[in-house]
Amino acid sequence: MIAVKYAIQGFLIYAAMAGYLLAFVVMLSRRRKAGHILFLAGFLLSCAAIVYRWLHVGHIPLQNLFEVFLCLGVLAYPISIFCNRVLRVGGVAADMLIGVVVLFPAGFIFSAEPQQLPPALQSWLFGPHVLVYMLSYILMTKAAVQAAIQLSGGPFDYAQGGQTKDNLLAPEDATYRMICAGFPLLTLGLVLGSIWGQNAWGDWWGWDPKELWSLASCLVYVGYFHFRYMFGKRFPRINSLWAVVGLVVIIITLLWVNLSKLFPGLHSYAM
Amino acid sequence: MQSVGLKNGLRRVVLWAGLLLILLLIVFSIYGAFIGAESAKEFFNSIPLSVYWLAFAILLISAIAQFRRLLCFRGLFLIHLGCIVVLAGGIIGSQAGFKVQDKLFGTDTIRTGQMVINEGTTERAVELEDGVIKMLPFAIKLVDFKIEYYQPGQLIIRTPKGEGFKIPAQEGQKYMLGVDSTSSPQADLGSVEIVRRFENFKLAREGDKRIAIDDVNGGPNPALELLLKQPDGSETTKYVFERFPGHARPDDNLQFSYRRSVKDFLSDVEVVKDNKVVVRKSIEVNKPLHFGGYLFYQQGYDGDAGRYTVLGVTNDRGLGIVFLGYILLCTGVFWQFWLRHIFGDREMED
Ligand code: HEM
Repeated sequence: MIAVKYAIQGFLIYAAMAGYLLAFVVMLSRRRKAGHILFLAGFLLSCAAIVYRWLHVGHIPLQNLFEVFLCLGVLAYPISIFCNRVLRVGGVAADMLIGVVVLFPAGFIFSAEPQQLPPALQSWLFGPHVLVYMLSYILMTKAAVQAAIQLSGGPFDYAQGGQTKDNLLAPEDATYRMICAGFPLLTLGLVLGSIWGQNAWGDWWGWDPKELWSLASCLVYVGYFHFRYMFGKRFPRINSLWAVVGLVVIIITLLWVNLSKLFPGLHSYAM
Repeated sequence: MQSVGLKNGLRRVVLWAGLLLILLLIVFSIYGAFIGAESAKEFFNSIPLSVYWLAFAILLISAIAQFRRLLCFRGLFLIHLGCIVVLAGGIIGSQAGFKVQDKLFGTDTIRTGQMVINEGTTERAVELEDGVIKMLPFAIKLVDFKIEYYQPGQLIIRTPKGEGFKIPAQEGQKYMLGVDSTSSPQADLGSVEIVRRFENFKLAREGDKRIAIDDVNGGPNPALELLLKQPDGSETTKYVFERFPGHARPDDNLQFSYRRSVKDFLSDVEVVKDNKVVVRKSIEVNKPLHFGGYLFYQQGYDGDAGRYTVLGVTNDRGLGIVFLGYILLCTGVFWQFWLRHIFGDREMED
């Protein structure tokens, strides 16, 4: 299932991907300023792609996986900058790569066929529910990247504690901070979804696979908090493992509708 | 952040038990996702799981009692209290919860069911999940049921080899179909023009001819009249019906279907109590009616003629408690992880 897009929509997405990818390569060659400019260019192009989509379909473009991944591609940049400047969490180069990775399915896998909003999606909760989830997903992805750096014994010297040269947090602390930033949004997304379910189907919890996966993803981070509270930094690798597992469960949650086709006969719920 | 709680034996048990229950719930949720919503619902309402939920609530309460930090950190307190309140609301509103309450108070409450109401009639019967019929203490009258569609619909054209076109179904529009790239030798498919749109297609007799009319008074039979032009100049008229998509003759080399997407379902209802209309409301998907302790939401309709509506009925017991829990939980997490850092109130940081 490959869906290459030839029209303006496709051009904007591929150009944004190119911007992010070039930014990453330039960043690796230590030309930070040029990297940042390219990162910004990728962001502006992805903004253009989503605005174009919005005008084209006439409603908030968060209805299907194509639109959702496009939105992730837009969010990668502002969240990266915010985390770097305010939360002192690094990984800007990785964020550029995250931009490429999340735009890839929008560019090449999911169909961009415009759809009209079915009655169930016509709710004031539609935008906030999905947007809040997308924000938290990017934050949790950054958490997993920091956790992976920690697990691989990465470029930071964790044992020195606290902070790195650039005044950025060491990976284990950065993972914690990212999860602290993302967890409220993950919880809010679940709660908004539940209120929406109540309005649309008359039940605030339907035991639907998508609901259960999103509960599981939220709970992995609850597990992380408790584990880290119990053991502090005594087992930093296990702390990090929670964050990586969290991202895996998030990816399954997001793609469950598609993945469930791999398990024939299972109930799946259209996005 | 240091490993504080582990020194005290009881606290240690509570923490470990909490972690275990959280892990178990992750496993249960994933299992539930694999077995599908219906079975998962049964699973999570089963007796062993009821014990699990109770244990979870008790453990949360004992955590608040045991850990001073949970009480002092406003955010953490609200988070855990919120979870307890959501669980309490869930238990009160669950199947098992209703059974226990009915036994205790000798009541016979409707928890969830369905109402089928014909246009112009008044109904108080609710069919429960197990097929039993129970009566509401008030009645609901369906004044009107409407379905709204996105305009225009779509005309879908398929060649014998499966190539497809989607065209907005607008009157007067003409489209060149081009060449069928899948056939050999390649055939020019000619053009199609949408001549007329019908809400309710009917054939009427005019003298000894039969003509197509749009009968506004009958049931719905949406259709399109097309004019197909072949490259050799020959013309044929064709009717495409939304509700009979397979309607084609064997010698047709193109297959047509007509689709419209539903924009909204609306049930205009009146609540009748003691022979008086007490509430009027248009129930839509995402806009349920809340009355007398019940929620009525748009669940289904008469697919053939649009003359009746199906309303889902759920009791609102426990719902307010769940939503209160949500408010506590969300206030708690945002306070704990965002706001207290922004407002500089770090309470008693580690
Ligand atoms: C099953 C029973 C549970 C027990 C026994 C329990 C107990 C605790 C304890 C003792 C703490 C440490 C508080 C501190 O920092 O001093 C804590 C922290 C926390 N708990 Fe729970 N908890 C439970 C369930 C939950 C659930 C269901 C949630 C879901 C939202 C949750 C979310 C949190 C969060 C977010 C923290 C903060 C951790 C941090 O600041 O690093 N807990 N819990």
